[in-house]
Amino acid sequence: MSGALAVRSPILGSVRGVDHVPGTRSSVAPDDAEVGRRFAAGDEQALAWAYERWAGQVHGMAVRAFGPGPDAEDVTQQVFVAAWTGRARFRPDDSPLPAWLVGICRHKIADAWARRDKHRREAEAAMTEAQARPGGPVTAGVDGAATDRVLLLDELDHLGQPQRGIIELAFFEDLTHAQIAERTGLPLGTIKSHIRRTLERLRTRLEVDGAALHA
Amino acid sequence: MQHCTPEQLALAALQEPLPASDAAHLDGCDTCRAEVAALRRAPDLLSVPQLAAPGAAVPPPPRVWDAIAAATGVSAVPSPSTTSEPAPALGAVPPPPVEADPPGGTVVPFRSRRRPVLLVAAAVVAGAVVGAGAVAVVQSTGSDGNGDSVTTVALAPLPDADASGVADVVVRADGSRVLELELDAPALEGSYYEVWLIDRAVDGMFPLGVVAPGTQTVELPAGLDLAEFPLLDVSVEPLDGDPTHSGVSVARGDLDA
Repeated sequence: MSGALAVRSPILGSVRGVDHVPGTRSSVAPDDAEVGRRFAAGDEQALAWAYERWAGQVHGMAVRAFGPGPDAEDVTQQVFVAAWTGRARFRPDDSPLPAWLVGICRHKIADAWARRDKHRREAEAAMTEAQARPGGPVTAGVDGAATDRVLLLDELDHLGQPQRGIIELAFFEDLTHAQIAERTGLPLGTIKSHIRRTLERLRTRLEVDGAALHA
Repeated sequence: MQHCTPEQLALAALQEPLPASDAAHLDGCDTCRAEVAALRRAPDLLSVPQLAAPGAAVPPPPRVWDAIAAATGVSAVPSPSTTSEPAPALGAVPPPPVEADPPGGTVVPFRSRRRPVLLVAAAVVAGAVVGAGAVAVVQSTGSDGNGDSVTTVALAPLPDADASGVADVVVRADGSRVLELELDAPALEGSYYEVWLIDRAVDGMFPLGVVAPGTQTVELPAGLDLAEFPLLDVSVEPLDGDPTHSGVSVARGDLDA
């Protein structure tokens, strides 16, 4: 298990550390790990601490995806509400709370895209129906990217460590396999075979459940 | 003939450069290429700027916490000192390192680096344009063989769009300017592509004309201040006789990135 331990702490780096400004917080405020443990235990104060520390990063992602405004605010709100109501699934020993929040944020962004995509298809279908001869197939806009993203993020949730950390560094931090090896301390060959197996697994998930197949 | 290893093909699906011999093989081998194509849908869908690790923090307005508190019934309150920090400037992400100007300066292939460099341009996407997101831009400035100066901007696809392209703003020796646009996008039926220059508030915009997949040259209005309208946007316009932007953008780049 030393490999799994070795990989764990570098992956904390996927979320930027927050400078704790001296003097702005009471000395009883716990460290990030303690906030994570209390959050999992259902301590309401931990939700407020988590928001203080990481709402800016989560909202930054939401704004990056949707621009400033109500859509981004909805996503940020949904992330914290979903994290709180789903806290039984949070394992503070497996992943730091901010990384877990960022993972939820990806889901919420992908869900919002999928909803938009669905609305757009419905609108296009209505237009097509109005314009085209009756009985023609309605295929406008069906490419399933938005739905497939939702599936893929779900499949990532089912990966164990270190596979998940490795593929997240490749996908979300744009690191090469050599950089991932350096970051995690795992051998190059291990990184490469994990990447290979994970990409195969994701491909299989798309082939089994993917939107393109059922469009 | 020695095929690439499964591991090499997976790295190729992640857009990592392969050793020369593998790269040469991959170029000519349909079997290996098909495998890469099958593996790359997941990275292509997930390695998008909008899902990348968090960049610049943006403090949410206080009503976001109010909504969370209302939804969860939690009565604890975040400390105001940490929720009222001034927002870091949007776009505070350092600009991507620009590669040496290619000879002639006209071609910057999209994804010329391993991946498009992530550049946050959140302020750009307020309201008016549907589906707008972060913009990945690779830009360089140089001059072409005729002594004309050229600014190149890569157009990144917006979420769920599969259009991309490269645009060159060419300043001719006589001072006139044209946009040379190479649009990589599916052909449309019942609608068409239009290219626009838009200001950062997504408030004012100039329609530059109808464009099609492929390469074309579009004249820029003399006197148009590109610094004021730096966003190059390609939209899908329905054949509805409405001259305004449809709100459906498929690719965008920033001339001023």
